[in-house]
Amino acid sequence: MNLAHIDELDRVEMPDGFVWRPVRRHFGIRAFGTNAYTPGANGRIVEEHTEQTYGHEEMYLVLRGRVRFTVDGKDHELGPGQLVHVRDPSVRRAGVALTDDAALLAVGGKPGAPHEVSAWEYTFFASPHVREGRYDEARRLLHEGLEEKPGSPPILYDLACVEALAGEGDKALELLNEAVAADERFRKYAQTDDDFVSIRDDPRFPHADA
Amino acid sequence: MSDGYTILSLDEVEAVPHREGTNLIPVRHALGFRPAGVNAWKADSGGQVMPPHEEDSGNEELYVVVQGRATFTVGEETADAPAGTLVFVPPQVFRSAKAEEDGTVVFVVGGSIGEAFNAGGWDSFSIADWYRQEGRNDEARAIMEQLIAEKPDYWAVHYNAGCFESLAGNADAAFEHLRQAKELDAAGDSAQYFSGDSDLDPLRDDPRFQELLG
Repeated sequence: MNLAHIDELDRVEMPDGFVWRPVRRHFGIRAFGTNAYTPGANGRIVEEHTEQTYGHEEMYLVLRGRVRFTVDGKDHELGPGQLVHVRDPSVRRAGVALTDDAALLAVGGKPGAPHEVSAWEYTFFASPHVREGRYDEARRLLHEGLEEKPGSPPILYDLACVEALAGEGDKALELLNEAVAADERFRKYAQTDDDFVSIRDDPRFPHADA
Repeated sequence: MSDGYTILSLDEVEAVPHREGTNLIPVRHALGFRPAGVNAWKADSGGQVMPPHEEDSGNEELYVVVQGRATFTVGEETADAPAGTLVFVPPQVFRSAKAEEDGTVVFVVGGSIGEAFNAGGWDSFSIADWYRQEGRNDEARAIMEQLIAEKPDYWAVHYNAGCFESLAGNADAAFEHLRQAKELDAAGDSAQYFSGDSDLDPLRDDPRFQELLG
């Protein structure tokens, strides 16, 4: 049976402090977006964010423990079996665990559109490997993402970071320029990204004034 | 709260008796959630959590035990599922669950691979039918009207409205909805339901039913 307890799912510790438990990825779900979250050391369980980039409608169901959600500037303390449904993608939302055992399930997607696996799933999954210097594993995961989402700018960008950190400057520049060509926002991000220290002086680097 | 978000407690949603002794917590209907099918089931120890069934081709479902404990059967396998357990069931695989503790609540998410989620309204129908049996006819009809207002061009909502009116004894209204369902169902997906759905039994001896099938 394709079954797992939430504590058996992978623990992907994110820089903002929350721990991502990849549900969709674990089960290979294709029809809808769903993930679980548990708190990191600082208690964060949902990063502060909006869903404007993806246009997603979301709901967060508390499975265990207590969580204080801050939604549209207002605080709501929820326990097991309680949920917050954020219909409007522009509404800012965040969550802090009030108990160490807190766990929640998120379900989301763009109304009226077939579910597409989000690029962030691949970049988030690879990020602990990048931070720990496990570049081969990070490469493998990001290439897996490019197979699913060919030409995805955030995945190309993160792969460029990995190659730059791994000392593969030529590959990094090629990937970074590909990401910038697909989405100009990545030119701006690259200017201050410490991962690109080793290639920033190269004439091929996509400078802000280009 | 604002128009942009809603806080909901599953305990506060009126559970609706559904088929085979199950009790549906109609989450999708309560929220108007659009990206996927979301609902929950509640049962006491020994009770059936959700009706034993298989989903159509392409329909994936994830069951999450929120409170209590259940025994799941998927295909020919059986497993213990305490709170915090997630069970994924691919399309066309048999699934069933029995509660092992009083107050067991199982949340479920579902959708079709490669298709936008389209609420066909089986859950709305279930609420409306329960209200009808309770004599709450105005509330019942309002639920079906809300469903049609949300998806006026989707055959399944008219089909479910036809089932509702059939069971309510309103044959004229039922045939009107069922005709609309047939007209909107270009792919012919409704045929299997027209032929085997007991909700339509009160209409089967009416000459209009044969016209509809023809």
